[in-house]
Amino acid sequence: MSADLTIAAIYADLLGTYGDNGNAATLLHRARLHGLSADVISIQPGDPVPSQADIYLLGGGEDTAQTAACSALRADGNIRTAAERGAAILAICAGYQLFGEYFPDSTGTRSPGLGLLDIRTDRLAQRAVGELAAAPVPAADSTEPPLFSERFTGYENHAGGTVRGPSVQPLGRVLAGVGNGDGTEGSVSGHIIGSYLHGPCLVRNPEIADQLLRWAVDRELPALEEQAVSELRAERFRTVLGH
Amino acid sequence: MASGKLPWRTRSALAAGRAASALSRATGRGEGMVIGGQVILRIAPEAIADLARNRVAALVSATNGKTSTTRLLASSLEQAGPVVSQPTGANLSTGIVVALSDADPTARAVLEVDELYLPQIMQQTAPQIILLGNLSRDQLDRMNEVAMIARRWRDMLAQHPDVHVVANADDPMIEFAAAEHAHVSWVAAGQAWASDSAVCAECGTLLRRDDADWSCPGCGRRRPPPNWSLLADPWRAVDPAGREYDLSQLGLPGRFNAANATMALAATAALGADPAVGLLRMQSVDSVSGRYGVFHVGALNIRLLLAKNPAGWTELLDIMPPAPTPVIITINSDYADGRDPSWLWDVPFEKLRGRTVVATGFRRRDLAVRLTQANIDHVVIDNPYAPDAPLPPGMRDLPQVDCAATYTAFQQLRTSGVPA
Repeated sequence: MSADLTIAAIYADLLGTYGDNGNAATLLHRARLHGLSADVISIQPGDPVPSQADIYLLGGGEDTAQTAACSALRADGNIRTAAERGAAILAICAGYQLFGEYFPDSTGTRSPGLGLLDIRTDRLAQRAVGELAAAPVPAADSTEPPLFSERFTGYENHAGGTVRGPSVQPLGRVLAGVGNGDGTEGSVSGHIIGSYLHGPCLVRNPEIADQLLRWAVDRELPALEEQAVSELRAERFRTVLGH
Repeated sequence: MASGKLPWRTRSALAAGRAASALSRATGRGEGMVIGGQVILRIAPEAIADLARNRVAALVSATNGKTSTTRLLASSLEQAGPVVSQPTGANLSTGIVVALSDADPTARAVLEVDELYLPQIMQQTAPQIILLGNLSRDQLDRMNEVAMIARRWRDMLAQHPDVHVVANADDPMIEFAAAEHAHVSWVAAGQAWASDSAVCAECGTLLRRDDADWSCPGCGRRRPPPNWSLLADPWRAVDPAGREYDLSQLGLPGRFNAANATMALAATAALGADPAVGLLRMQSVDSVSGRYGVFHVGALNIRLLLAKNPAGWTELLDIMPPAPTPVIITINSDYADGRDPSWLWDVPFEKLRGRTVVATGFRRRDLAVRLTQANIDHVVIDNPYAPDAPLPPGMRDLPQVDCAATYTAFQQLRTSGVPA
């Protein structure tokens, strides 16, 4: 029998700097806690991207690797198909930037992105490196409950500042660090979440992992707390924000 | 003393630096290297160039293995007379200026250098040769990108066309740095961690790999034919004439130290010394600045292991005793450790399955989540050396426990422990 859901980890050799493969491990782990079976398929450059996976993960990467990954994804085409049918997607850092209209390449020149998120990224005056903490924001439609209720924690390391178009909500409001560069962090549009949170993101923010799983299985999942994770989050917020 | 030939400013800087070091030691603030070096360089910014003049045999840089390779090469070169080197692996300008100022001024120097500082130290010291070992992700909060360091090294070599380079042919990032250079001894020293050189640093194409061999389908770059090679079963180095050097008697453990020794043998030959004599001297090195040394800390005897990044950890886990022997893992995130321990998720801790891991250090909670997901039995302990620490059963009875630690935790244990 096939698993309840399939997670595609995209190009870990290009977009996996700094532990982003921990995101796939965490999704698998949280899925099990929720009683769901899941398969992670690791897609390397040159392999076809599956069009029918339930969740797609992209991590951070270096400038040349980012450009190479973007070209490969454009040539393959299936990530666009997946995004357009509403698959859940988490894109971190370089992966986040390449979902937009353009991002800076290794020389700082604008390089065309996939255009699947209405965002634009240019070089920041100064590289953003350090702990990043953000607060959840209200839903765009104020009659809806917000997607997230817990604060976000992670580590950022990027040279890009990202501007969102009108259709894209921020993931959070920055409490410490830089994030998008305008006081907001990350982007949410449909079932695509983009973020500068490493850490890895889902390890330190299991609420985001659970949201991706909810989108994938299209039903409610209960909140599940793990003590080791709660202790880690509490220690990070205490150290970074003092509370 | 060297002071006679040195400029006045450098001489007075050295005196001030020694006073600052002595004061720091006397007040119990540490070994005084950093503060002494800072004082010297503030008064005499040219002090490294003044002290280095014509006597630096080699600079050694790499993400992993700098300190061990430096020690192996220094031991080998002692066959031809005294050699100075950093005693503790202090590889920034401050540590280098102190190492050069403390020692016999006629001694040749073999210095390990931080990857980012290498171009600057190269400019200041004009070494005969440099060793470039490997590049992989490490302290990305400070280093930013692996490819960026390779580009800086390439630019550096373009400005020093005469220096002889001993370079690892198996690491495409190292090849990229040295590819255009005229004088290179290529060493097939292996690459245990290939994830940071998946794409060509020249053209961005995904590299083609076949065991150790690699090539770029985009621009045609390929692994250079090696002059020296590391071979396995048993570990041995092979020189350009086909002569073999048995590495199975090295005092330092693991594949990575056999690779470090092969680099050091190639460097020995490039400097005109005898590799066979050098190897005998290298065999007596069994602990490097506390690495692999056994220390008595609290009620435990620990074998101290240093690892800072996924490539280093991946190889270090292999030299730990087999399950179910418990081990201690200590993770900090100070500046010298790298501020972000996300790399814990790139380390194959699954190799530790079947034993209990003591998770400690300032980032023990990050490690605990990693171990939880990997299904590895563990205990999180703030201070495992306290008399009442809830250690795994039987751990206190072991004659020796492996303790792998990041840099600042390693240094703290090395200086607080008593050599056993």
